[in-house]
Amino acid sequence: MSIEIEKLRFLIIDDYADMRGVLRNMLLSFGVVGIDSVSNGKEAIHNIETQRYDVILCDYNLGEGRDGQQVLEEIRHRKLIGVSTIFIMVTAENTRVMVMGAVEYEPDSYLSKPFTKDLLGQRLSNLLNMKADLVEIEHAIDAYDFDLANRLIDIKLEQKSRNHNILVRLKAELAIQERNYKEAAKIYENILSNREIVWAKLGLGKAKYYEEDYIEAKKIFSELIRDNERFMAAYDWLAKTQQMLDELKDAQEVLRKGVTLSAKAIPRQQALAELAMRNGDEKTAEKALGQAITLGKHSIYKHPSMFSNIAQLKAKRGLHDEAKWYVKEIAKNFKDDQEGKLYTAISNSLILEDAEAAKKNMQIASDLFHELDGQVSPQIAVDMAKACSHSGNEEMAKEILHQAASNNHTDAEALRDISDTMGDLKLEKDPKKIISKIKNKVVALNNDGAKLVRSGKLAEAMQLFEEAAEGMPANIVVNLNAARTFLMFMEQTGPTMQLANKLHKFLSRVEGVEPDNRAFLRLKKRAVGLIDSAG
Amino acid sequence: MVFNDILASIIHDMKNSLGMVLSRLDEVADELPANANGSSKIPGIQQEAKRLNNNLIELLTLYKIENERISPIIDEINVQCFLQESIAENLSAANSSNMELTYDCPDDLFGYFDEVLLHSIINNLIGNAMRYSESRIELSALENDGYLVLCVEDDGAGFPEAMLKAQQAETSSKGITSGRTMLGIHFARLIAQMHQNNEKKGFIRLSNNGKLKGGCFSIYLP
Repeated sequence: MSIEIEKLRFLIIDDYADMRGVLRNMLLSFGVVGIDSVSNGKEAIHNIETQRYDVILCDYNLGEGRDGQQVLEEIRHRKLIGVSTIFIMVTAENTRVMVMGAVEYEPDSYLSKPFTKDLLGQRLSNLLNMKADLVEIEHAIDAYDFDLANRLIDIKLEQKSRNHNILVRLKAELAIQERNYKEAAKIYENILSNREIVWAKLGLGKAKYYEEDYIEAKKIFSELIRDNERFMAAYDWLAKTQQMLDELKDAQEVLRKGVTLSAKAIPRQQALAELAMRNGDEKTAEKALGQAITLGKHSIYKHPSMFSNIAQLKAKRGLHDEAKWYVKEIAKNFKDDQEGKLYTAISNSLILEDAEAAKKNMQIASDLFHELDGQVSPQIAVDMAKACSHSGNEEMAKEILHQAASNNHTDAEALRDISDTMGDLKLEKDPKKIISKIKNKVVALNNDGAKLVRSGKLAEAMQLFEEAAEGMPANIVVNLNAARTFLMFMEQTGPTMQLANKLHKFLSRVEGVEPDNRAFLRLKKRAVGLIDSAG
Repeated sequence: MVFNDILASIIHDMKNSLGMVLSRLDEVADELPANANGSSKIPGIQQEAKRLNNNLIELLTLYKIENERISPIIDEINVQCFLQESIAENLSAANSSNMELTYDCPDDLFGYFDEVLLHSIINNLIGNAMRYSESRIELSALENDGYLVLCVEDDGAGFPEAMLKAQQAETSSKGITSGRTMLGIHFARLIAQMHQNNEKKGFIRLSNNGKLKGGCFSIYLP
């Protein structure tokens, strides 16, 4: 074996003392000395925050508190472990298919109990060899250097690597991340022409979904469920697709089946709640939100909107104390968070019976919202618009939704949410038409700017994009275009402090929302080069 | 909860207890000097406990096939890695019964199958082979006419005539009652058949007088 296991640092996470002992003895027999073991997720996170581990062996069931998946999600999301750390999930049975692709963060390997020490040793050695083979690629991805990652993958693929399928999979996932859906679809179709492989089929469905070919995507996800009842990711994607096709009742039914088979995924419960609310099925919505909140206690998927929505449903049923309790939970769970404060005010404005108090909270919400200066996610915009409409301020509701639409003119899901909200709140007679108008306007503006750049009228283009970016501060495309023209101008005439500051502003707006946006990363590289060369 | 679910969860719990017994047994075997009192009894206990464990896994898998209509999760698998892990899982049991457990497979051979399901078949086959072989078991893999062939061979007396005949019966659940090995055949055949590619379906073959002169159990995967 090329890598020496005995030199590595291990963390064992298991609530069962006997099992910790067994695992420790197995590792000791390999000559490992650096072994820590803890009994729950909280201690595990504390250890990982303060100490670097090479291998984490984590049981899926950890009793009270976080489960193994939540530990993994938190440490990967917070980047507490790097790409070189191996995370092995120890499970009581084979639950692979349930989580495959349905969760955002997957462990490097699953090990189902019971296993012998030799199997653990063999698995570790295979994983270490694999990591060593892929480490350069993973570092490139981690540093958002996708061009390099792609080149490295191609080199490895030509060498007929042992990790062939992992490499192909990575390549396709990179293409999706780069929004090169045609390329991704091509890779997946190529695999599928040879074999019916579920992850490739799921990937193809996703690529079709992003290409907005919802009919084809629906067909693919339905087939996946038909062939494997327990493939949960297919349920989530089918429901998303059906939503885009306006088949809301069907989508809810798909997710209802989904949570019956596997209730633990918080995003799934959230999606079900949202659909049920839209379908007027408040009972289901309340139940799903309750589940999401209970499950999400220790999860990165916890969001103030879950508390706000359930409070509204409770208040609507006359359960005012419960409603107030949920609103108080927002402050407790999202202590110093600006969004949390906003949601507390929004919720209070919607649930309080005392009209004066409700009005006062609406004022607070509106102040907080304006402080965010348009840099809000579509979800917050939608929730804020609902509160405005409730308090009788239809104009503001309309304005917020229009701004949200122009800020997100390329995001099909967000536009759909915004359009639905316009309809639900009866703000527009024909929301779809309004949305497509807004979309076309932003597209036209970007085209005009591009035309100016092409005909060499850079100063005019700069002015146009700068104005547009101030009007749509959260619009990725507009801010990227603004950054690009400012950069081109400075590349021609030399950088100035004032222009560089503006360039920085446009770029950091994009970075805040999409740090892995490829165009952004290229522009940033160019900007750094420019500033460097200017000394 | 219906009876089937209760049964499944009890089996599950039994499997967990047994897992602990197996791990502790491994530790005891490691700690005892080879000539210590009673150390000769350990391999027997290990083997039987492992067999019990394999049976439970088999039962759980059959339960899932019936109740949850699971289908195989096909992926591209490096066969050498797969065989290495199968050997590792059974290594201590083989060592303590002085059985040589080896594999023979090119390192660039890839197959398309459900790793977890195939592991449980191979484990069972190794478990059985250990009871009937003299001193050697070999796992091998090769490609043959569009099929990946996984074989478990031993140097024992070979399969009895009745078993060689039983493999012909395409749906053979009748035979299960006649013994535990028949259940093993049924299980392996079921999982092999669940692997399909285009018009081809997986199957099993039992034969005698192979490379090691004993029984040879082959699984053909399209």
